[in-house]
Amino acid sequence: MEELLQIAQRKGCKAEVFFSEGHSDIVSFEDSKLKNIDSKILSGVGLRIIKDNKQGFAYTRNLLDKEELVNNALESLKGGVDGLFDFPLTCNLKVLDTYSPEIEQISNNLLVEECKRICDIILQKVTCQINITAQKTISSLRLINTHGTDLFLQSSSYALSTEMLYPYTSASLYRVITGKSFKKADDEYIDFLSNNYKLSLNEVKARSGKMKVLFLPETLYVLLWRLQTAASSSSLYQNISPLAGKIGEKVFDEKFSVFNDPLNDSLPGARAFDDEGVQCRQFPIVEEGIFKNFYYDLYFAEKLKTDSTGNGFRGGISSKPAPSLKHIYVKPGDKTFSEIIASIDEGIIVGGALGAHSGNIPNGDFSIGISPAIYIKDGIIIGNVKDAMAAGNIYETLNNIIAIENKTYLSHGGNCPSILFNDINVIIK
Amino acid sequence: MFYRLKQILSRTTARYADIRYEKLKETRIIFNGKELIHVGTNSSDGFVIRVLKNGGLSSIAFTKFDDANKALKTAEQNACLLSINSKKPVEFAKTEIYKDNFSPFLNEDPRNITIDEKLDLLRKYNNIPLSYEKVVTTNIYYNEVIREKFFLSTEGAEIKEDLITTSIGGLITAKEGSLIQNIRVSAGGSTGFSILRNRESEFENRTKILLELLKAEQAKGGIYNVLINQDLAGVFTHEAFGHFSEADLIEDSPSMREKMQIGAMLGTEILNIKDDPTIPGQLGFYKYDDEGVPVRPVNLMKNGVLSGRLHSRRTAAAFHEDITGHCVAEDYRFSPIIRMGNIFVELGDKTLDEMFDSLGNGLYLLDAKGGQTSGENFTFGAQYGYIIKDGKKTKMIRDINISGNLYNTLKNISAIGNDLVFCETGGCGKGQLNIRSCHGGPHVLIKDLVVGGI
Repeated sequence: MEELLQIAQRKGCKAEVFFSEGHSDIVSFEDSKLKNIDSKILSGVGLRIIKDNKQGFAYTRNLLDKEELVNNALESLKGGVDGLFDFPLTCNLKVLDTYSPEIEQISNNLLVEECKRICDIILQKVTCQINITAQKTISSLRLINTHGTDLFLQSSSYALSTEMLYPYTSASLYRVITGKSFKKADDEYIDFLSNNYKLSLNEVKARSGKMKVLFLPETLYVLLWRLQTAASSSSLYQNISPLAGKIGEKVFDEKFSVFNDPLNDSLPGARAFDDEGVQCRQFPIVEEGIFKNFYYDLYFAEKLKTDSTGNGFRGGISSKPAPSLKHIYVKPGDKTFSEIIASIDEGIIVGGALGAHSGNIPNGDFSIGISPAIYIKDGIIIGNVKDAMAAGNIYETLNNIIAIENKTYLSHGGNCPSILFNDINVIIK
Repeated sequence: MFYRLKQILSRTTARYADIRYEKLKETRIIFNGKELIHVGTNSSDGFVIRVLKNGGLSSIAFTKFDDANKALKTAEQNACLLSINSKKPVEFAKTEIYKDNFSPFLNEDPRNITIDEKLDLLRKYNNIPLSYEKVVTTNIYYNEVIREKFFLSTEGAEIKEDLITTSIGGLITAKEGSLIQNIRVSAGGSTGFSILRNRESEFENRTKILLELLKAEQAKGGIYNVLINQDLAGVFTHEAFGHFSEADLIEDSPSMREKMQIGAMLGTEILNIKDDPTIPGQLGFYKYDDEGVPVRPVNLMKNGVLSGRLHSRRTAAAFHEDITGHCVAEDYRFSPIIRMGNIFVELGDKTLDEMFDSLGNGLYLLDAKGGQTSGENFTFGAQYGYIIKDGKKTKMIRDINISGNLYNTLKNISAIGNDLVFCETGGCGKGQLNIRSCHGGPHVLIKDLVVGGI
């Protein structure tokens, strides 16, 4: 890696080298039976250079020819992509506990046994198709640049997702367990899935109209995606953010607070620095309904004449860093999940969302198929509804919060509680 | 290369093993508004080994040649673990063994075009929407993916095939007051660079539609009779029906297998659906899948009756059905899974005018804006549409998402047009991305669809 920097420097460039390596094993069960075990051992190198205020980028999986990688980056300079920022000098960062050595002892056999155990317990409670995926990953990354930054991170993660499928569909109720190492599924986890599945198994009819809608931690990403897009410095710079000029204004319900929370190393994936070597920090995006901050990487921070917030992350080795909120934390409320359900006279739980990626995302609009749509009447889950859609706009919906669960769960949208909204338009065939 | 791959496989103790090595060369150019934010060409490579041992099938992806022994050992251990824990051993359906070196015909090989020329062309197209005052930004890309695949199996298969995909496309965004609207634009395919030339009118037309969207009405949620255009019909077929034709998605779902039996009457009698990656010139063209099986056309639905499905060697054996050659990987980071290649609704007999007349009152929806399916339920967006009154187009509508249930919807298709079109750019994200996922169809009239709206 150092040699790459030297070659780039000899050619008159400032440079940054990003190296990542990972080994993962994925065990999957379908219909309570072991289906697949797949592994990946992948590594790669990304090189960014700056010369004459222009930026170049190249990557490879096998660093067999270092000169060629530098030449690819030099070649890409010709396009004239702006590179007005400087690579940072970052050192003396807070040490985070991101790696659990225990993960090295976790065999695929143990993952298989855990999946079997969960299937057996659930099947004693209710008959259904159960699909489970369990994954363990050990990864490392190193980032060095010509300003003297030399950062290293080793991480471990474990994730297990249990899906309980509704008959004749692949709609499922699911929940994820995560950790830095193996974490046995506890009774609460299994009871949440099996009890709520059992209650919602019958197909029932319901009316269309405005009603209460509960987004689970697993489906809240539908709304957070729109917020993330609006709070991105990329949207701000491109003049397509509805939040432009609204820092300090109350935009959402005062119960709603969202933080960038990268330093929480009780969860897997914590980061002290981002993928371009800027220090990560905790800060609010929305606090008690007031919009507080956009998030920035180096490129857009320079464009908008401010500092990076440490949110420059890469989609993979083949991508340059871009502004990204990878560590969302939604502040929990004061109601238990059961209390929230009991408070709903008529409403729908969004168990899964279809089409979250379509619709007018910059505008904050969402229009999703709900699958499964779990129906609540008089405070009790009584079944599931077919062919249901929910639609709205986050600038109205996030102002219509009735209650927030008092506990958060890490899923792909972030570390979130369930949130109950009022007056969401639901269309049911 | 085959010699090195043979060396790796020679160490296996499994009954069957295969290895795929891929060199991937990608050229990407991206504009955000007037700003060029990315340009460059890069190469990467890697391996995927699959082993079938004692009835357990496992795979591993790795990027360093030096990791080959460790990878093979890991895959074999995992296969044994699978075998111990499975009641039913995995079998592979028999296939003929091929040795071949296949390069597709290209009308202008993009490797012979300089990056400066690609950049100039993209800049020219990008400037078309940006010349309109209300267009606030664009995200327009050039994407060129060149995959050189080397496949070798212990059965003796030895296949090299190149897949070359070029596309130009992206998103154009306009704003009026606080209303933001965007529209997708795309051009491309598998036939070389020339398909990207002289596409100015595509960018002009899409921009005009976008500006009209700023004045369009928001769709009102409800149940409508809907006429969908060719692009939407293709996405509809892919999302609402096609995924169920992929045998791996229903293999371990007893209730889905019960419903998706060959011979089941699932659609109206006028509905015929086929997957045919062998049609030359369309985006999804290929010769061999990533198990070394030659791909063949499959009639999935004939006159509303389920008549076939897409298979890997594993599922073909499990279902006791013929192999089809549809087991495909995104690239060297993935083991292959069953994918549609080029799925489409076959030609019907109605003209567009006749279909408007049949619709009477309802919605005319055009062009896909993403779709997703979960079992029998699907959702997809339309870029724009019109309210139809008495068979005539009236007001334009925006922000449209459609949702439905597979079984009900296939039975609610009441007319099929005589104007089949295939898409030029695709993309299906079933665990892995398939940029060559092609779909198509003529105009299709569907009764009683749920349309989401505010």
